[in-house]
Amino acid sequence: MGPGDLERILARLPEETVPELLTSVTAGEDAGVYKLADDLALVQTVDFFPPIVDDPYSFGQITAANALGDIYAMNGRPLTALNMLAVPCGLETDVVGEILRGGHDKVHEAGAVVTGGHTIEDDELKYGLAVTGTVDPRRMTGVGGAKPGDLFLLTKPLGTGLLATALKGGVIDEKEMADAIDSMRRLNAGAAEVLARHRVKACTDVTGFGLVGHLADMLKAGGVSAVIWTAGVPFFERAVEMASMGMAPAGLHRNREYATGVRDQTGREHELEVQCLFDPQTSGGLLAAVDPEFASVVQRELRAGPCPDAAMVGQALEGAAGHITIEYERK
Amino acid sequence: MAQADIDCRGLNCPEPVLKTREALSRGRGPFTVLVDNEAARENVSRFARTSGCGVEVKNVAGGFLISVTPGLESAGAPSQAQLTCWGGDSPTVVFISSNVLGSGERELGEALMKAFLFASAEAELIPARIVFMNSGVRLVTENDETIDHVRRLEARGAEVLACGTCLDFYGLEDRLAVGRISNMYEIHSVLTSAGRLVSL
Repeated sequence: MGPGDLERILARLPEETVPELLTSVTAGEDAGVYKLADDLALVQTVDFFPPIVDDPYSFGQITAANALGDIYAMNGRPLTALNMLAVPCGLETDVVGEILRGGHDKVHEAGAVVTGGHTIEDDELKYGLAVTGTVDPRRMTGVGGAKPGDLFLLTKPLGTGLLATALKGGVIDEKEMADAIDSMRRLNAGAAEVLARHRVKACTDVTGFGLVGHLADMLKAGGVSAVIWTAGVPFFERAVEMASMGMAPAGLHRNREYATGVRDQTGREHELEVQCLFDPQTSGGLLAAVDPEFASVVQRELRAGPCPDAAMVGQALEGAAGHITIEYERK
Repeated sequence: MAQADIDCRGLNCPEPVLKTREALSRGRGPFTVLVDNEAARENVSRFARTSGCGVEVKNVAGGFLISVTPGLESAGAPSQAQLTCWGGDSPTVVFISSNVLGSGERELGEALMKAFLFASAEAELIPARIVFMNSGVRLVTENDETIDHVRRLEARGAEVLACGTCLDFYGLEDRLAVGRISNMYEIHSVLTSAGRLVSL
């Protein structure tokens, strides 16, 4: 479902108003946060989807890393996870076992435990997890908080949606998207640690709505506009080429359609890179608003540590909240 | 209801693109694709343009009818050759001046040439142009197997040129099955402006 449809549906539901709820369902927050004490809140998230790679163990790892990503985006610490599994009848138990093993290994890597789960029968295989963690509400990084001048750091390259679509279509094989698979399997824990150390102002993880969609949520919540420089955005190898081959997933087009406050000033020769900015990501990187004074230090630490591809992809500006200008390079 | 050669209504990405690709690799004539959503319209159009085809889109009841004309390079869109050929901006040209590869037993030379063209078609990177000269033109006129491999290269974006004088000399001018007839002026320019020249 596209961001527009979701927004309309959520707007019809009564708003939750208990004072303990620190996040709003409609603000595009990554996870729900419920305050238990002044220094302790629960942070909860859920995510599931059909296989995006052929190897079941990798799929399990990717799904878990993706679900855990929302906890890290809030600067939380994951504690427990519940499995959700929809299995077509007749699927080999080995396959299911490998998916769950991948998920469990990733949850354990994150220092959390799997406490249970639920399985149903369905035509299409789906796997996901509901993850619960804790966060100190005073140290929580929400989507709002970016101020004009802040630079936006992205910790992983873009292009998993395009590559997964090309894989599904047999245009590339898993070896050709090995970097993207490794990236999707990688936890955002290390990136979150670096960002928290520098007290970044706002943070989200880039997933289904693409870089532009998730950035727009940050901008709306922060009351600012922004510029994105395509020349600064890291892409996985072959992702831009797959855009030229028409391997854009339907979600990319939906994201683009919904992005009304976007002005593209790059010109025709960069249209493929611009298209990739809307690509829905699985287990994408963190996108953080960083004070311009510290941004290069934070980028250096990320690159030297957990995120070799971390890059400054844009800057917050004064202007209509949520609006984005796409330029080719930083002027 | 609109009639189309390929009906992609109800299909999700990337299925419509894959069906278009299949049609492109089968033959060289124009064809139409019917899609029922915006995403498929954009993906199929983009793929066809990237593959060097002319593209026209009409709004019809129930969706979009996309007319694809192979071989027309549309302005502005990057050609697939630019994206996937060796050497990027300095295009690689493969010059084939014989129907056998290397000197030795004829039977071996023919098998090697066939294998070379097969490997070229399978490779991740393809040359920007392939020029057939002298008995090399037999590979694009008489030999069904090599014609197949060269067609796949062409479908992936390689430009295929065959020497007109040579076709004429061997009496094969009516049998060119892939690529187009060229002359010594063009071939001279293609060979001397190549970023890298692979000569067989």
